[in-house]
Amino acid sequence: MLLLQLFVNGIQVGILYALTAVGFSLIFGSTKIFHFAHGATFVIAAYIFQFIYAGLGLHWILAVIVAMMATVSFGLFLNRFVYVPIQRHEGSYFTIFVASFGSVIIVQNLIGIIFGRGFLVIDTPLSRGVEVVDNLLVSPLLGIALLCAVMIFGGLHLVMTRTHVGIALRALSESPELVRTFGLSARRLSVYAFALGSSLVVPAAIFTGATSGLNPTIGYHVMLISLISTIVGGVGSIWGAAIVGLMIGIAENLALWQFDSQWSEAVSFAILFLFIIFRPSGLFGRASVH
Amino acid sequence: MIAYLLNLGVFFCVNAILAVTLNLIIGYAGIFTMAHAVFFGIGAYTAAFVAMNFTSSLIVVTLAAMLAGGALSFLVALPALRVRDEYFVAASLGVQMLGVTIFSEWKAFTGGLGGVLNIPLPTIFGYEISTPTEFFILALSGLALVVLISRSLARGSFGRNLMAVRDSESAALALGKNVAVIKTLAIVLSSSLAAIAGTIYAYYLSFINVQSFTVDTSVLIMAMVIIGGAGTIYGPIVGAATLMLLPSALSYLWFLPKTEIGSIQQIIYGLAMVLLMIYRPGGMVSSGTKSAR
Repeated sequence: MLLLQLFVNGIQVGILYALTAVGFSLIFGSTKIFHFAHGATFVIAAYIFQFIYAGLGLHWILAVIVAMMATVSFGLFLNRFVYVPIQRHEGSYFTIFVASFGSVIIVQNLIGIIFGRGFLVIDTPLSRGVEVVDNLLVSPLLGIALLCAVMIFGGLHLVMTRTHVGIALRALSESPELVRTFGLSARRLSVYAFALGSSLVVPAAIFTGATSGLNPTIGYHVMLISLISTIVGGVGSIWGAAIVGLMIGIAENLALWQFDSQWSEAVSFAILFLFIIFRPSGLFGRASVH
Repeated sequence: MIAYLLNLGVFFCVNAILAVTLNLIIGYAGIFTMAHAVFFGIGAYTAAFVAMNFTSSLIVVTLAAMLAGGALSFLVALPALRVRDEYFVAASLGVQMLGVTIFSEWKAFTGGLGGVLNIPLPTIFGYEISTPTEFFILALSGLALVVLISRSLARGSFGRNLMAVRDSESAALALGKNVAVIKTLAIVLSSSLAAIAGTIYAYYLSFINVQSFTVDTSVLIMAMVIIGGAGTIYGPIVGAATLMLLPSALSYLWFLPKTEIGSIQQIIYGLAMVLLMIYRPGGMVSSGTKSAR
């Protein structure tokens, strides 16, 4: 029974990981920009939502919309005023990473000053567990998150396969030169990648706030999970990232059966380490780009 | 005032050692590790353990710390040999997270979250180092030693090999360089030298806990290297001095709330990292616009 409970918890966490990782995978896969500040986007989403929803007492739909606007603006701002200028003069991975990293530090501390460094928990009755079968607690949030994830992934699939932007983004991830040959602007496409990828973080941030809570420094953890998912899933494969995100969530929670919760990060790291040593191209590497 | 300056001086030396050693990996080998604080920690905990259980001899303790740092650096070296760039950042971030978990959980060795208390004073050839002045001299000679070693390494054939690997791995390989050995050596050297900083730190405070070895420390050292100038010999020292003086300078600005100074300092160096990367990717000590990589 304990295992089943842990498995259910794992799915709940895994869905959130999948949602977070997909956004990063989309940005990194198509633009090749090492957007380390994706973790900062996550923090912004959670705090803005909490401020509008609990702080101002407005409707949650409004809070979601504002949080989404904030994350998209943040992503576009970084792209326009940091990444594009750097790429103009050289744009090695190192330079982009450091600049992105600097942005993480700025956001994390600004949020700490404005909202405090304490733990943020989005208070909702939905996060309380309900006993489904004997001893198996499931919170309604799991159902909502699951539904949300299915809708988002379904929508994303449609965007990536049916719209011009989606097809162009996939093309960009496979062959930037070819995209240019066809007269499409990689720079313009990266705007869509950042907008889409950044907004995808909002539901995950809100659900994390409602289930386990978070603080301004969660960005590192978010990035670690996103990076592991993207790499183990295979760079360029957004579905790979989603599946691995889900798997990490489940693995971390199943590990609680034997280890204390402090070791959950070590479990996901062990997965990454093994993949880097034995299969650096990931589960769904280049060739099988979706 | 003198005591304040000596205290600042010791911390500056510790940070400068960390920055100079990290620069060996980041600046010269082009391997971007986020786990340097782990080796600082390994040095400090090993030093504390040996000092409390076996001997007070500074030389033995330092050598033990260096050995531990060097031996455990395979955690960083292994992924560095397999993957590059973004992949490696992920792996090293993982090592950092794992390191913090172990530091706070392995109670027998690290004392858990509470840390290690009452580390005895070091002796060198029977002479006990106890006053702040003596500690400052010790820290300064540690820094001088590390700078000397890394300078001769960087300027010698090993440094040229490293830079060759950094600039083009395939070209270095084609010239018959053993890329794997060169990378591994750089990481082992840098990690074991970083353990010296850990030793000095543990002795000076006579108390250590996991707070000093978190990802924030790794980030701070990284910021020192980058802001000062990665791949230059004195850049990291300039960077360390700049970032160390920042909090003291900020405390003169009376209108800033005292509780937020730490955050404001971090915002300033975050901003410096962003702006430097846009306008001067080589860092403060660099010859023009040449990039670090």
